[in-house]
Amino acid sequence: MAKTEHDILDDAALEAFFTAGRADTPVPSSDLMARVLADAEAHQSKPRPIARPAQRRSLLAGLIAAIGGWPALAGMATATVAGVWLGFAQPDTLNALAGGTLLPGATETGYELEDLVPSFSNFGAVVEEG
Amino acid sequence: MDMAFDANSDVTDDALLVAYGNGDREAAMLLTTRLTPRVLGFSARMLGGDRAEAEDVTQEAMLRLWKIAPEWRQGEAKVTTWLFHVVRNLCTDRLRKRRGVDIDSIAEPADDAPGAVQGLIDTDRAQALQAALNQLPERQRVAVTLRHLDGATNPEIAAVLDISVEAVESLTARGKRALAALLAGRREELGYGED
Repeated sequence: MAKTEHDILDDAALEAFFTAGRADTPVPSSDLMARVLADAEAHQSKPRPIARPAQRRSLLAGLIAAIGGWPALAGMATATVAGVWLGFAQPDTLNALAGGTLLPGATETGYELEDLVPSFSNFGAVVEEG
Repeated sequence: MDMAFDANSDVTDDALLVAYGNGDREAAMLLTTRLTPRVLGFSARMLGGDRAEAEDVTQEAMLRLWKIAPEWRQGEAKVTTWLFHVVRNLCTDRLRKRRGVDIDSIAEPADDAPGAVQGLIDTDRAQALQAALNQLPERQRVAVTLRHLDGATNPEIAAVLDISVEAVESLTARGKRALAALLAGRREELGYGED
């Protein structure tokens, strides 16, 4: 027997059932959400480390790195200062510090030119003879 | 907790799943919030309203999503479509195992309290709809449920069922006609008087 209009619902009536069905959609319990999230965390791969971009080095930074970094630079600075100090220091003071071993018998302060360049005393004669 | 984007943001499920695969914990939370309710709703309707079993299926389907995430290629498939496909298979397996048990006897609500209150009427209607859905052939149930209760589009349903969009339209139309016939007999008890 063919269905009559009375035997089936029209679209509006059927839509009312769908509306009721949508309103009755189950809401996940907090327990289910926790279980799903726990699974997510358990199966998640570790974050990939992000490669740091290569940094451009300044000329000075490159130089410092070439000689071995800041500790080496500090050593060089110390040596430089020591050298300057030795250059300016009074030799007799140095002699005194050395216990008179460097210039035995020296009584005068400072060096004469001939002390440093013994051959210089003959230089005048050479010039005169020339 | 600070969130860069909420569950309603424009970030696609696709992008979130890739972010999850790359170790983004926030993406896991957003995907869970977004997808679990839809998966549960679909599972429950496919399983005749069995809440506990629907929760198990939901957890299993989401677990498969987490596992596939590292291999997920953005833009190839819709996450929800993929999930519904998985849910459909899981539900089919469970319904098959139930064979021998009268599914309708589980799903049919204890309907002994005529609804004087509108809320009760709505609940009764929802239960009557579920009972009617249970009687539809499986593919019609999938099509009608996704189209009219979940709000999925016909192309999405076509992807879930591996059929053409035209076939989905045909399935949905047949499913609706069957539902209309099944529910007509309950018109009066559910608050639809004779017009």
